[in-house]
Amino acid sequence: MKTIRLGLIGVGGIGQLHLKHALMLPNVEVTAVADSSKSALDRAKGFGIKNLYVNYSELLRSSDVDAVLIALPTHLHLRCTREAAEVGKHIFLEKPIAVTVDEAKEVIASAERYSVKLMIGYPMRFNQHFLKLKDDVANGLLGDVESAHATYVCSGPFVHRADGHSPSPVPDWWFNIELTGGGVLVDLGCHIINLMRMLFGEVVDIKGRFGYRYNMDFEDSAVCLARFSSGTLATIDVGWYSQEYLLRLDLLGSVRHATVEHMPPPTLHALAQMLTKGISSFNMPHYRELQYFVDCLQNDFDPFPSGLDGLRDLEVISKAYKNSLSL
Amino acid sequence: MSFVSLVTIPQNTNNPLQDAIVQSINLIDYSFGTGVRRVVIKPNLCYYWDCTTGQTTDPFFISSLIDVLRQRIGYDIDIAIIESDASAMRCKYAFRMLGYEKLAKEKNVRLVNLSEDSSNGIDVSCNGRNYNFLLPKTIADADLKINVAHIKYTVDPIKLTCALKNIFGCNPYQKKFKYHNDLGNVIVALNKAMPFDLTLIDCNVAAGVQPRKIGLVMASKDPVALDVVAARIAGLNPDKISYIALAEREGVGTRTYVAKGGEIEFYRALYPRITFIMKSKGRVKRVLVKVGMGRRLGLE
Repeated sequence: MKTIRLGLIGVGGIGQLHLKHALMLPNVEVTAVADSSKSALDRAKGFGIKNLYVNYSELLRSSDVDAVLIALPTHLHLRCTREAAEVGKHIFLEKPIAVTVDEAKEVIASAERYSVKLMIGYPMRFNQHFLKLKDDVANGLLGDVESAHATYVCSGPFVHRADGHSPSPVPDWWFNIELTGGGVLVDLGCHIINLMRMLFGEVVDIKGRFGYRYNMDFEDSAVCLARFSSGTLATIDVGWYSQEYLLRLDLLGSVRHATVEHMPPPTLHALAQMLTKGISSFNMPHYRELQYFVDCLQNDFDPFPSGLDGLRDLEVISKAYKNSLSL
Repeated sequence: MSFVSLVTIPQNTNNPLQDAIVQSINLIDYSFGTGVRRVVIKPNLCYYWDCTTGQTTDPFFISSLIDVLRQRIGYDIDIAIIESDASAMRCKYAFRMLGYEKLAKEKNVRLVNLSEDSSNGIDVSCNGRNYNFLLPKTIADADLKINVAHIKYTVDPIKLTCALKNIFGCNPYQKKFKYHNDLGNVIVALNKAMPFDLTLIDCNVAAGVQPRKIGLVMASKDPVALDVVAARIAGLNPDKISYIALAEREGVGTRTYVAKGGEIEFYRALYPRITFIMKSKGRVKRVLVKVGMGRRLGLE
């Protein structure tokens, strides 16, 4: 099997996790890392990465890279994707696909124009519990799913204290809606919308009620009501206001109900998983999505979630913003 | 010997917080004096955590304090709420996110980011070491300086964040982590460089190992005495918190106190104290985070 030479662009929070997973994957060689932060590059150097770049364009010019994993701030997604496509690098792009729907279309067009593969990072699509739920829904085990409730709350970019270690600085771009494209509905909501589209088909209509607890220009909580092509009515409840992490789907069917969660395991449990499997169950979906991306490159499959998936999610979010409810 | 007052926020009055603040100040026989024109209030803003976490001062507490100050001193006094940028926190976002921008508009007070304030150097010695800090003009010019702190646990060897530690946030230097290896000395040195006239504790929601509403307001002119009482409430031995003893040696205050109002034991029973098992778990997690396994274990 051909070894995939991977370049990582952006090794901040999520990029660093991808780097660790990429180093664990068989048939993957991380040949280069680019990041504008010197400390991020130093961390990458600590993992034995030899080719380190402050400017990602230099990484893209490297002939040692077959594919790139882009984990940059959202406003840089289009520019970086376009440059990567132009030089024929396959692309794994972190969600959300872009700041706006128009930019998302350009991202897809760039990948198509230069015939490179484009995958959008939605790790929950690789969570085995959600995948089983998909099968159960598709196989009619739940009957007609009349309603579904999705909850995803955490502290988002405002990382809370975890037993004494210091809080993380929040990069300025997070506070600028022009650079993010929105608030929590973009950041967390896109995961939920993507999952629900996997379960119930396309969104026919959506309305949203947005909360501004932190007095910023972007919403820090959102409750959306969505109707799917399957007929399911769903609530999408997302927030950055909670110190406690919760990601849960409740499905109410005419035959059975189902609840699936994605939660960090207790520390000792996670430690045991790390020692036995090298990875905790919480991060397994991230590992699997990267593994799948590499499989697609090796076997010449078109990966999913595709750019079109990312675009659809952004269109739904855009519609929810337009159909804002006041209660 | 210093007075430290402990007052429970009343339930059935029109202005419970105002009443508690007034009572706590009266119990320590504090007088605002005459000729006060400029007042600074230093709340405890910690990152972007709102007051429900118990980590930051409730803007409503500050709002009530402003009302008390205007009633007691005069309606034309200039009030500035001060804070500085920190390693992980930017004032411009914290003021907005934590409700202080809204408060400043409603109460017509100024918000001052000390990191952007003009300042002069000030030399101070502490524990045989010499320090040079920047003294922000807003603090230097104030006739009355009020420290509004919280009672919180923090990392060893400091253990406790309360009156003395809150003044650490008056240092306009942003990258404060550079002081963390010498934190006790720096806290005391800053308290010597910028002595505050009055300290209030907003312990309506206590932080502890988890937030808990205990409805306590405290006051003292002496931050050292207040920290001793706060340590007892948090279940810590104040004699084992070295910077409190250092503050006394350096003349910042005294560890000898007279508690007035409520009983320390009553609030100690309510405070969500840390247990040995929690401490041990915390240490294990910190080690895991330190060796870079935090994110992979879902701790970050």
